[in-house]
Amino acid sequence: MKSTFFRYIATVLLALLLPQLAHAADVVVISHPGTSITAGDVSDIFLGEKQFAGGTKLVPVDNASLQDSFLSKYLDMAKSKYSSAWTKKSFRDGLTPPAMKSGDAEVIDFVKRNPGAVGYVSSAPSGVNVAR
Amino acid sequence: MVNAKIFSKNHDKQRGLPTILSGLIAGILLFIPVMAQAEDTGTPLHGFADVGFSAQTSESPENKGFNIGSVDFYLTPQFGDNVKSLIELIFETLDDGTLSTDLERLQIGYTFSDAATVWAGRFHTPFGYWNTAFHHGSQLQTSILRPRFLDFEDKGGILPDHMVGMLASGRIKAGGGRFTYDAFAGNGPEVDPGGVLTINTAGDNDHQAMVGFNMGYDFAGMADGLRLAISALQGDVDGPAGTTPPMNTTELNMANISIIYITNEWEVMGEYYSFSNKAILTGGSPASGTYNSWADYLQIGRNFNGITPYLRAEKTQLDQADQYFSNQANGQSYNRQVLGIRYDVNQKACLKFELLNSKFEADATHGDPLGNPGGGSSYRSFRAQYAIRF
Repeated sequence: MKSTFFRYIATVLLALLLPQLAHAADVVVISHPGTSITAGDVSDIFLGEKQFAGGTKLVPVDNASLQDSFLSKYLDMAKSKYSSAWTKKSFRDGLTPPAMKSGDAEVIDFVKRNPGAVGYVSSAPSGVNVAR
Repeated sequence: MVNAKIFSKNHDKQRGLPTILSGLIAGILLFIPVMAQAEDTGTPLHGFADVGFSAQTSESPENKGFNIGSVDFYLTPQFGDNVKSLIELIFETLDDGTLSTDLERLQIGYTFSDAATVWAGRFHTPFGYWNTAFHHGSQLQTSILRPRFLDFEDKGGILPDHMVGMLASGRIKAGGGRFTYDAFAGNGPEVDPGGVLTINTAGDNDHQAMVGFNMGYDFAGMADGLRLAISALQGDVDGPAGTTPPMNTTELNMANISIIYITNEWEVMGEYYSFSNKAILTGGSPASGTYNSWADYLQIGRNFNGITPYLRAEKTQLDQADQYFSNQANGQSYNRQVLGIRYDVNQKACLKFELLNSKFEADATHGDPLGNPGGGSSYRSFRAQYAIRF
């Protein structure tokens, strides 16, 4: 009887926690192996405020499968606000918004192949730099 | 071919349905190759468009009924890491129903670093905040109309919103926030015989460059969203356009301070413009005298989940002894109050409704808004707008 009660409580807690865990999906920002960036640079890079790292032109790309979590964690911004910010930036300064990739595989492939590329994925692969 | 014809008529005002159709066809022709190219080069076509409705009291000179506003296309092609460009083309209907086409911006730039990009070409003159933040992006700005004194040159504005010349701009991280600057020099404008500022796209008539700067600080942390900035503009303005030597020349001296606060919920924008203009030539003879004027606006809006009520007050006190203002068709002093509401249908489309109360001061040069001599009149108007961006 007692163990059934605890099992019930554990199930309820798990049910309550799962959505939270899913929402707080891990987001790791990665860059091309020849490009070093810090976690403090991420917001500026993805809002077009920082375009160069050393002499290398930075090329941020978005990840459709993780965009909400990324914007929430690093930019504290809703998707609509992010889109609006880029419209203003592009219209005023002539910058091109980050291209949208469909998921981790596309982002990793792009980041590995393009110097200056910066993206975000759910777990860090080998052969790239991780922003810390 | 159609494109070439349209572009060659930059600034020409054309009339009639065939012209509108040719404009639309030109737009579509422009759109198709770019879309095809976008798959290869990643150069997307962006833009804005709006349609609207207006109604006014009988004293108003403005058009009543439905209207089409403007269609604005812009491209931001990049050429390698440092070379970039900004190309903007606009089709808009003027108050008399004619279709105007403008190569609104053609800027080619070189970015040295985050702190310095140098541009050459035609650009939006970076004074104050409103002019470069919104310009023809009607979906971007909360209200339907710009403050009248900041409107486009051919729509009642009293400042050169566009310039052909060179522009340096950059952003430098400092103290947690960001210091921003623009410095520019370009062809000085003229006032045409109709009293409208023209920006001398093809070359400067008097070799007197117009120069200016805009410096600001974007706060971060607790004050995130706050921007404080100053800007200035100086140069000779001749008129009437086409007379050599010019009959009237004024040294325009404008200084501005902007206080902007924009967050997810709040939009507070205030700008003050001070003028201290010097007469140099009047009627072809040397002149003297310094004339002080000012203009300002304050707009406050609050976003409640996509519904944004807003209000704005704007006012100018323009010295009519200053030929810079008296020679401009819309250079009379006025004050206007605006009350509106904006509904964001989604992140790329919005509906706006606006009530305006406008009062123009009597002066010897300008008639009332209907053109009657003596001036001094007021009217109220209602406007609605459906605006999109793509």
